[in-house]
Amino acid sequence: MIQTIHIGHLLRETVTSPYRNLVTRPTGAAIRNRIQETMAGSDCLTALLDFSGIELLDFSCADEVVAKLLLAGGERGGRYVVLRGLREDQHEAIEHVLTHHGLAVAAVAEGEEHAQPRLLGWVTPDARAAFACVCARGALTAGELAAVLDWLVARAEAALAVLAGHRLLRAEDDRYLPLPIA
Amino acid sequence: MTRVVEVPATFDDRSFEQFAGAFGAWPPEEKILIDARGAQWSSPYGLLAMLTAGQALAEAKRERPLFTVPLSDDVKRYWARAGFFHYAAELFELHGKVPKAAVSGPSDVLLDVTPVRATEDVHEVVEKISQGASRILHGELGLEMKATLRFSMALSEACQNIVEHAGTSGWVAVQAYTFRRRLGRRVVVIAVSDAGIGFRRSLESTHAKRFGERWGDGTALEAALIQGVSRFRDPGRGQGLAFIKRFLDQWKGKISIRSGTARLAIVPPWDEDIPLGEHLPFFPGAQVQIIIPAQDAEAR
Repeated sequence: MIQTIHIGHLLRETVTSPYRNLVTRPTGAAIRNRIQETMAGSDCLTALLDFSGIELLDFSCADEVVAKLLLAGGERGGRYVVLRGLREDQHEAIEHVLTHHGLAVAAVAEGEEHAQPRLLGWVTPDARAAFACVCARGALTAGELAAVLDWLVARAEAALAVLAGHRLLRAEDDRYLPLPIA
Repeated sequence: MTRVVEVPATFDDRSFEQFAGAFGAWPPEEKILIDARGAQWSSPYGLLAMLTAGQALAEAKRERPLFTVPLSDDVKRYWARAGFFHYAAELFELHGKVPKAAVSGPSDVLLDVTPVRATEDVHEVVEKISQGASRILHGELGLEMKATLRFSMALSEACQNIVEHAGTSGWVAVQAYTFRRRLGRRVVVIAVSDAGIGFRRSLESTHAKRFGERWGDGTALEAALIQGVSRFRDPGRGQGLAFIKRFLDQWKGKISIRSGTARLAIVPPWDEDIPLGEHLPFFPGAQVQIIIPAQDAEAR
């Protein structure tokens, strides 16, 4: 099950203004709190944060909303977070703050939930390659990934462990699955 | 006794030092008269410097300063249309006839003089600027469309520094004009100024120790702008100025920050400013100027 959270709606409810710009740390912190409350009231496996109603996203707000939400991973109750509907400049702001923290998140374009998600933030090049491979092929074991990418199994295991640690893939027994987003 | 502080005929970041030096020891004991009669032109930086001086005097509980308005009708009209006199009347005893402000500012004023007191004001500033920024940045300066959003992000981060670090309110203004002497091209200038505690005091409790005897206004500015440090322990802090620097590097822009007795600038190839000036006359708070020039044909 997927829970879609419209950030634009939360912004309008939180700052009680017609603005579509997600700026300033206090605003970002308030939005993050609302996201966490909303997620706490749901038992969906994935929270899809929809930014399509947002114009500008500055660094301070990207840090408060996305980076701190991911840093508070334990408080998400083991749920996965995926971003949707980001524009290029918003990708850039989120990429910058997540890289600064050594974090990463998956993002999908609006209406293209079946397409391969994009990784924003910092992961190792191996993890990036493994992510693309699992998203393209579906569930894989470390051995299967190693065979596809012509890697040693230990290398595939390490890359998949990084992705599972960042909650960018789902680990089930010895298999790694793409996040359910569609 | 009244101390007369003369407004430079051309008031920008360079002539600012003449203005700051005229106050003497801060806060001045004497009543202050800011004499703008001879002013011929002021950048947004100059306009905000005058308001900041008035605000700092009020916060230091000094006698309400006097302000003689420019003799030039053109200058008066321009300052009125940029919103300067609206706020100057709250801080100074104005002498001289002030024209009524137009409903909206001149077309090259992207953002009138605007107070920044709280987070809501930053939202307001970003909302206002987004309406005119594209026309100037893309239409006149030849920057890519995405630069408009980055520009708004830079403005947002610069204004947030006031709310988060100054300990008091401040001002912002954005204007486009032709930089004849230094560049010979159109530029957009963001000026942000506050009368607050300044960079040194803001960072002192968390960073002074590691600098030892070197700690001062100049090192505090270097720590904030070059090293991206913040007074907050939160590791996500300090990225706003880092982003502004990166954005300006891409567009051959310039940022200068003056705080206390020092001024630090990231100087692009077209300018001959000194990177770090120290032991300057004290001026309260922090003054930030961001300049984005029109892109030459090669860069477009």
